Amino acid sequence: MLQVALAQVRLNARRFIAVGVAVMIAVGFLTATLIINASSKASLTQSVGQSFRNADLVLSAAYDDDAGSWATLDEQTAEVAGSADGVEDTYAVLSSSVAVRDGRGSSYAVLANLPDDVSLLPVDVVKGSLPAATGEVAIDEQTADRRGITIGSVLPVVSSDNLEGDETPLTVTALVEASSDPRSMGATQLYATAATVAPFANLEFGFDSIQLALADNASATAVQTALTQALSDAGIKAVTVRTVEEETTELMAGFTGGQDSLTVILLAFAAVALLVCALVVSNTFSVLVAQRTRELALLRCIGAGRSQIRRSVLVEALLVGIVSSIIGVLAAVGLVGGIVAYLRTLPESGFATLDVPPLAVAAGIAAGVILTVLAALVPARAATAVAPLAALRPADDVRAGTRKGRVRLVSGLVLTAAGAALLGYGASQGDLLVALPGGILSFVGILMCSTLFIPPLVRAVGFLASPLGVPGKLAAVNAVRNPQRTSATSSALLIGVTLVVMMMTGAATARSAFNDTLAGEFPVDVTVSGAIPVESPFTAKDAAAAAAVDHVDQAAFLPVAGLIDRDGEEVPVYSLDPADSQVLQDASMVPEAGTITMPQGTEGEMLTVRGAAGDVELKIVTSESRNFSPLVSTDTARLLGGVPEEQTPEQFRAQPMLWIAVADGLNTPSIMELQTALAEALNIQDYQVTGAAIERAAFEQVIDVLLMVVTGLLGVAVVIALVGVANTLSLSVLERTRESSLLRALGLTKGQLRGMLGLEAVLIAGVAALLGLGLGAVYGWLGAQSALGGFADVTPALPWVQLAGVLAVALVAGLGASLLPARRAARLSPVAGLAAD
Amino acid sequence: MTTLTEHSAAPGPGSSTAAAAAQALNKTYGKGDTAVHALRDVDVRFETGTFTAIMGPSGSGKSTLMHCLAGLDSADSGHIWIGGTEITSLKDAEITRLRRDSVGFVFQSFNLVPTLTAEQNITLPVSLANGKVDAAWLAEITRTLGLEGRLKHRPHELSGGQQQRVAVARALLTRPHVIFGDEPTGNLDSRSGAEVLSLLRRSSREMGQSIIMVTHDPVAASYADRVVLMNDGALVGELNNPTPESVLAALTKLGA
Repeated sequence: MLQVALAQVRLNARRFIAVGVAVMIAVGFLTATLIINASSKASLTQSVGQSFRNADLVLSAAYDDDAGSWATLDEQTAEVAGSADGVEDTYAVLSSSVAVRDGRGSSYAVLANLPDDVSLLPVDVVKGSLPAATGEVAIDEQTADRRGITIGSVLPVVSSDNLEGDETPLTVTALVEASSDPRSMGATQLYATAATVAPFANLEFGFDSIQLALADNASATAVQTALTQALSDAGIKAVTVRTVEEETTELMAGFTGGQDSLTVILLAFAAVALLVCALVVSNTFSVLVAQRTRELALLRCIGAGRSQIRRSVLVEALLVGIVSSIIGVLAAVGLVGGIVAYLRTLPESGFATLDVPPLAVAAGIAAGVILTVLAALVPARAATAVAPLAALRPADDVRAGTRKGRVRLVSGLVLTAAGAALLGYGASQGDLLVALPGGILSFVGILMCSTLFIPPLVRAVGFLASPLGVPGKLAAVNAVRNPQRTSATSSALLIGVTLVVMMMTGAATARSAFNDTLAGEFPVDVTVSGAIPVESPFTAKDAAAAAAVDHVDQAAFLPVAGLIDRDGEEVPVYSLDPADSQVLQDASMVPEAGTITMPQGTEGEMLTVRGAAGDVELKIVTSESRNFSPLVSTDTARLLGGVPEEQTPEQFRAQPMLWIAVADGLNTPSIMELQTALAEALNIQDYQVTGAAIERAAFEQVIDVLLMVVTGLLGVAVVIALVGVANTLSLSVLERTRESSLLRALGLTKGQLRGMLGLEAVLIAGVAALLGLGLGAVYGWLGAQSALGGFADVTPALPWVQLAGVLAVALVAGLGASLLPARRAARLSPVAGLAAD
Repeated sequence: MTTLTEHSAAPGPGSSTAAAAAQALNKTYGKGDTAVHALRDVDVRFETGTFTAIMGPSGSGKSTLMHCLAGLDSADSGHIWIGGTEITSLKDAEITRLRRDSVGFVFQSFNLVPTLTAEQNITLPVSLANGKVDAAWLAEITRTLGLEGRLKHRPHELSGGQQQRVAVARALLTRPHVIFGDEPTGNLDSRSGAEVLSLLRRSSREMGQSIIMVTHDPVAASYADRVVLMNDGALVGELNNPTPESVLAALTKLGA
């Protein structure tokens, strides 16, 4: 039987290509995730460890529980370490933060001492010779490049503690490579002799670390043990002695927290891809088995046992799984390797290191093979059900059993109901931890009973194709010819589309919820406040100037109308012309005559406002927003007559301000540009321009980027599912060779045949996409409700354009998936097809 | 009366009375040593309104000849006419159109599209051409073929004989220049087979339908007006007004 399985795979290699591609993508995704994780850790180790890469042992300060403070690495510690047996050289690293002045101001730098033995210096000299005398300095080449510093340049350095202090001129004698230690990355790195560093350093804080180089014949662990003992004998507490590897691992622990959670998230996406892939594989093998009914029956006739038949199918799956998993792993290694190689060419990530852990390779191959074989189990069992007699019956109208597993349907319905209840409860309570399992359960339930609703839906949608004549009608009928196969094919796509749409809807809903919250928090896009000290207060002319700036929708001038006393402090009241009310994000803020608009939660009925023309009693109207100055209308302001003449010094008096509404859809950089443009147009300082627009844009950008990344990751699952559509279709085409030939003989043109198959694919993909849109929208909304319901008003928001895009992609991709099978079907001459079998 | 003569004269181009005709038809499968001459210089002419059977042993080229005549397969050289139209130079789409308008088919098996009802199968060529079904003609055909009660059934709900009768109905509906039958009774028991053959002969005699049928069954061939004999890809003779015995005798003479 092994022989039969091998021959099967060899002769029908083409039929296995699509399965192979699906497995390959899923395995590649999984392996790439694991390799990226390992590689980024390796890269980080490489960069973290750079600071002591030439040392053998590292002493560092630890938290002293007894003293309740961090230990310091002092001179005594350095002496004890230096005098230990086997220690050849000691490098007590002393660094200090300094400022380097240049024409524009000053920039911060880290000035560190050079070791006595330069072989302990963690960076290589690129050019020149290391400083030997006081007043000389080495600088990292990146900063040197950026700032046009060359050997011989003089850097005016001041202590960062006293920026106004006297400069110390340091002459550059060497350029060194920039350290990629994340702790010093980006800062200017300076190295000088201890004597040069000493005036800037504060020895109270001790050395950064003490690095030791050992004699060639000394054992690191022996020295480590002896030195630890010596330190404790000398009464030095909370100082650790570690090998370089140990120190790196220790430091790494502080960096990798966030990265591991990224890996977990990526692995979750890989799991989705694997699940979709399993559906595609299982489906393909079912079709392959169905097509070989006669052949399998013949094998049974000539004496093959059921278990032999099953084994034969499983061996095929095993072979396909192994081959495609290996290709998938290789592709992943190649891909990540390529990325790492590219990163290495960039100066700021030259430390990128490719690490292919054997575990990632093993896990990738194991997952791929196990997935393929498991997915083939059900089809393999179906193969054993073939009766020997089937070989003798004509195979014209092999109808796959449409017996719906009642157990499956019932448990699917139960799961759906239970999950939906849980999800609904979680959403109503704003509890994501309840809603998430509910969502997963209900989705699994829906997938389990997909045979219930997908075929009728495809049939219903198929009616739309009837006006296209016979090809349309046939396509609709053929699409549901084998309901189980159609359901499985659609389900694979359904998973991907549902998840993508869920993310899109969730993001849109979250965005609108956050926008509402932000609008309440910051009711005005941009506020321009008057300068202190006052030079020229704003006038209505300034509002007009601001309105002329690009991307400004509206600008309102708000003069000070009067003062109120709140908690013993004078608070200015501003007046807003109701005609300018469009600048407010919150309509409840617009003031009416005789009222004063106060922030949410203000107590009391009436409030006295003091104005130059006298006091006026105004009715308090609270708005939904929390963060703004009290507002009155222009009519009320006229009654008040402006700020009362008081003894407040002029520079502390409230000044008129401008409120500005900016155009929708600007991103963070363009809003920053807009703010600068406003400052220029009004001839004021940048800091006077503030507002919520930038926060809102930044927030939207975060959501957009997240959404893009997530959609991209889920896109892998969608691609696998589309491979599945192409695969199912091409197998159906093979299965229907005779029928296609008959239709061709009876006068169906090649174009009509291709159109028919295209329509069939579009129907399957379109229905899956439609269902996915509906389900995803509901899940996305309920998910956002569960996640944010606790602290924001959530109203469902549907990103129509994106949803239409998803549908369009699904339809076009479905059509694309039909291209190859359709071409093959059309190429076949009617005679060849009729002669087959 | 049985006569075994040399094969009939070649039809000239534009011979409008022929339902189908071929001239100097050659077709070879494979190359070199393994080459098989399926057709060697075949000249043949099928008169309108006649029922002709093509006979010969397995591998004699009778199916290839039919496939070429029907435009299902292409010949290496030579000319083919269907109802006065030369099809040898037509493009695939034109041949397809010609097939659905001017040619009818009855195959040995797998004649019907399993997802369509009997009626939909009958009207399929008309629907494919986006044409209008001649309802009166359809009613007459279905009555003649005894299919009235079966029109809403799907193929798998019909017996083999009924399936073949549906195929005959489909072939007749477009009033094609010629109907091709490829062993139309090969899968039927003798009673159903006789029924289908009688139907074919009646449609030829009463409706003037031209029919060309490939068969290796002498009894089936005896329903035809004329039998054309083939061997090794060449026409080797013909019989007019055949009987099962005369056909068998002619075949035996071929050494089959």
